[in-house]
Amino acid sequence: MSANFWTSSHHKQLLEQDKIDVVHPIDKERGLTLEEFKLIKIHMTNHIWKLAQQVKVRQRVIATAVTYFRRVYTRKSLTEYDPRFVAPTCLYLASKAEESTVQARLLVFYIKKMCSDEKYRCEIKDILEMEMKLLEALDYYLVVFHPYRPLLQLLHDAGMPDLTHISWGLVNDTYKMDFILIHPPFIIALACIYIASVLKDKDTTIWFEELRVDMNVVKNIAIEILDFYDFYRVEAVKGMSESSKGISEEKVNAALYKVTPKP
Amino acid sequence: MTDSSSFIEDDSSQSKLVADRYLKRELLGEGTYGVVFKAIDTKTGKVVAIKKIRLGKYKEGVNFTALREIKLLKELKDPNIIELIDAFPHKGNLHLVFEFMESDLEAVIRDRNIVLSPGDIKSYLQMTLKGLAYCHKKWVLHRDMKPNNLLIAGDGQLKLADFGLARLFGSPDRRFTHQVFARWYRAPELLFGTKQYGSGVDVWAAGCIFAELLLRRPFLQGSSDIDQLGKIFAAFGTPKPSQWPDMVYLPDYVEYHFVTAPSIRSLFPMASDDALDLLSRMFTYDPKSRISTQQALEHRYFSSVPAPTKPGLLPRPPPKAESLNEKPLDLNLQCGPVVLSPPRKVRRVMVNHVGFEADSQNVIKGGGNDKEHRVGESGLSSHIPMSMDLEAMFGYTAPRPKLNSVDRSYLKRKLDMDSEFE
Repeated sequence: MSANFWTSSHHKQLLEQDKIDVVHPIDKERGLTLEEFKLIKIHMTNHIWKLAQQVKVRQRVIATAVTYFRRVYTRKSLTEYDPRFVAPTCLYLASKAEESTVQARLLVFYIKKMCSDEKYRCEIKDILEMEMKLLEALDYYLVVFHPYRPLLQLLHDAGMPDLTHISWGLVNDTYKMDFILIHPPFIIALACIYIASVLKDKDTTIWFEELRVDMNVVKNIAIEILDFYDFYRVEAVKGMSESSKGISEEKVNAALYKVTPKP
Repeated sequence: MTDSSSFIEDDSSQSKLVADRYLKRELLGEGTYGVVFKAIDTKTGKVVAIKKIRLGKYKEGVNFTALREIKLLKELKDPNIIELIDAFPHKGNLHLVFEFMESDLEAVIRDRNIVLSPGDIKSYLQMTLKGLAYCHKKWVLHRDMKPNNLLIAGDGQLKLADFGLARLFGSPDRRFTHQVFARWYRAPELLFGTKQYGSGVDVWAAGCIFAELLLRRPFLQGSSDIDQLGKIFAAFGTPKPSQWPDMVYLPDYVEYHFVTAPSIRSLFPMASDDALDLLSRMFTYDPKSRISTQQALEHRYFSSVPAPTKPGLLPRPPPKAESLNEKPLDLNLQCGPVVLSPPRKVRRVMVNHVGFEADSQNVIKGGGNDKEHRVGESGLSSHIPMSMDLEAMFGYTAPRPKLNSVDRSYLKRKLDMDSEFE
């Protein structure tokens, strides 16, 4: 399976959490806090997700797009790289890299349809210009590994295919955080299986022991995921004005306003 | 900058460094997706080839094929795979920087002044398989193996290039297009339209290249897909279902008139037993039982004498520009390439006739300043043909099939639409 993950550029580029939780100096100057930085990333992850549902791409493409998005902002500032352009371009680039191209004009069309806020609107040429900048920001590394394939293999190995649905959903949600930049994908998959098995009252102790992985890492990720759900729920309640579930739009807009270049 | 500016006094029009690093030199040619020029990397002092990727004016951004090549080459670092040194945008175009390659295997095979000893052939095949084994270990299928995509560096190392058709084959159930490879190198399962294939397709093509090294001409020169299968079956016999159980279920399977195989010895009279054994394993019909690249490298052919020639000692064609100016031997200019074998020589010598084809895939090679190429023995003194190729004797050799633009756009569409798992 991921025998090649260990020799991949993805593996070499894994980062420590504290290298990721850094607000770029330029954004900091504009008063952006770490909380706001994270909020923008969650919000834009959702944006990519919604856009992807419109143009109908595979899960893998979405996951790769979000990974590109998060990786870009470990290096570049939100001020210089407008996330509202970076997000659709990540989806565009990921669709090419994952061999299921989506046309730029389709993205432009659906963004116009989806977003009432004019700041999200872009033209084809914006996406194509940003594509070049993104390639450079990513240092042209485009191959990304995801937890989905190991997830299915591990569940099969554990004889728990009935956990597929719930753990697959959990894996989707891990992209609202930065795990994919920090941990090998199969570890993320294991954390999701762990949560799923606890939720469904399955005893997996022996199976996990036989895997000989560092259970502390797996459990810590599981705890972080659960913490995130708590945080998200609280934020969702605060943002009640927003009809659907999600984080407060006001907060996000305030954060985005800080990093929007003033004319 | 001072060093470099003195370097290019004769070239004042292009004295500016590209991307603050590269000193642009002459144009090498037109590539699949843009022009290629030679340059000097002022950071390392090395000669490089820079591919400028044309951007469709506000259409679909960075060329899809180029992007695929970038994506894979960033993951592949091996002595037998072309190195992508750098990539950068310049004046709105993306540029890819590759190590400069002097020649390619097609030029070696075609150069009638070059004599390939069994050790030389072994060395070229070994380097090909090493590069391929590395790709397969990384779950990358090359899908366009042919002699002119095997480039040869100044130090004699052979390197796989042109990954524009390559792709990851991670999940086993993925369906791929079968319209890959130049026809002569296409495995029978592809010709029967399979959508699910694996590294065996590259092994088959490597087998064709092995055969081509031995014969000094393309081995199975089909003129259509149907004819290609006919040529394959004429060489190895029509496969029986017992040999290849899945064959009859392939999408484009048609029954072929049954022919029995001539002995493989008769096809390659000069090859050693070990060479023939390896060859027949690379040409096994059932992809499931075809030898893998790793197994091929462990085959006794590579451990038996003669040892593979060291890359630095391999015969190489003269740099292209020169070879065009001074064709060393103008034998038989009228009647096309002739296959000659001088007596007491265990290999054939081809007399040079045609110039090198300027080829779109070829452009990042050429030029170079290797003066120390060996001029192979010509066998002129007593050119008694021992084995000859009728096609080569009496007519033209069919031009190598390449993906034409229709194929390409078809292929691109297919690749773009490749549905995947889930």
